[in-house]
Amino acid sequence: MRVTVISPEAAIFDGEADAVTAPAHDGQVGILPRHAPFMTLLGRGPLVVTSGSTSRRFMVNGGFLQAVNNTVRVVAEQVKGA
Amino acid sequence: MAKASKALRGRMRSVQNTRKITRTMELVSTSKLKRAQDRVVAARPYAAALAEVIADLVTPELAERFPLLRRPAPPEKGGPRRAAVLLVTSNRGLCGGFNSNLIKEARKRIEALEGRGYQVELHLVGRKGIGFFKYIGRAITTQRQDIGDKPTAQHASELVAGLIEEYSAGRLASVDVVCAKFVSPITTPPTTLGVLPVSTPAVKPGGLKADYILKPGADEILAELLPLYVRNQVYRGLVETAAAEHGARRTAMKNATDNAGEIFELLKRTYNRQRQAAITQEIAEIVGGAAALEG
Repeated sequence: MRVTVISPEAAIFDGEADAVTAPAHDGQVGILPRHAPFMTLLGRGPLVVTSGSTSRRFMVNGGFLQAVNNTVRVVAEQVKGA
Repeated sequence: MAKASKALRGRMRSVQNTRKITRTMELVSTSKLKRAQDRVVAARPYAAALAEVIADLVTPELAERFPLLRRPAPPEKGGPRRAAVLLVTSNRGLCGGFNSNLIKEARKRIEALEGRGYQVELHLVGRKGIGFFKYIGRAITTQRQDIGDKPTAQHASELVAGLIEEYSAGRLASVDVVCAKFVSPITTPPTTLGVLPVSTPAVKPGGLKADYILKPGADEILAELLPLYVRNQVYRGLVETAAAEHGARRTAMKNATDNAGEIFELLKRTYNRQRQAAITQEIAEIVGGAAALEG
């Protein structure tokens, strides 16, 4: 599935991934490919994007996550780390 | 002759020095413009994503329930009397009519609001705007000049946090942002963005109102995202104004450089003509003198 991580200043990540773990407002959520249309608010915490054996970690705060048509969009107010 | 040509040489030197300065400023602006333009482009995906989602979530029924979407009553019907205008200008001059255009746009907006019976409070960003409104002796509510070339989302939220609060408490009737729109490096028209009340982005007909699983619920998500949207609009305003400033300065400095070049050419021609005239005259005098001796 395609994953994009967007902060107000720039699109920070855009690529294929196998799994996303995100800090939702009420706890961690994991998104796998072909997830049902889903939208949630984000809290503060680590966002992990895994593709194959590599994974990338970001710290996010605020914003939302949207999963639809096998694309995941993480739109966060603050994103740190690469 | 000697005196006149010395004055001319002095002017030539000074014009050439000016040209060197304006040329350098042009080059500096060109490179800064490039980076500022990249920031404008980089900010687009976020704005687009946010607008799309909000357009998806907003329905007319919901609009009445959110203070940020509600349109307050006009002052004669007991609505708030205060309205805020946030003007974004640059910290530096030498960019042609850029700042005066922005100030003109802001004054137009202020007059329009005052004509409708509002009390306008001014929030200023950038030394040039602050200088102007101080000069005409208008009360300034808040002012900032530390934002400069590289505005961040943090700056935008600091600017707008207080305004959002006042607005949701029903003490402000509207918030307008006057800033430059960055259409291209040479077209940067001043514009007024009506930031509050939030005018929701246009809903695409048949847009993906997919059966989302919403957590927590549409209401809570919208309540959280609307301030983000407002902040992002202000951030866009800041970023575009920064890019527009460099575009305007580049154009202004290019014109100045071209002008200086023209003046230099003119001075050089005048100088050479005078020099030639002096030589011709000296020869004529020598020939005349020799002829008189041979006489």
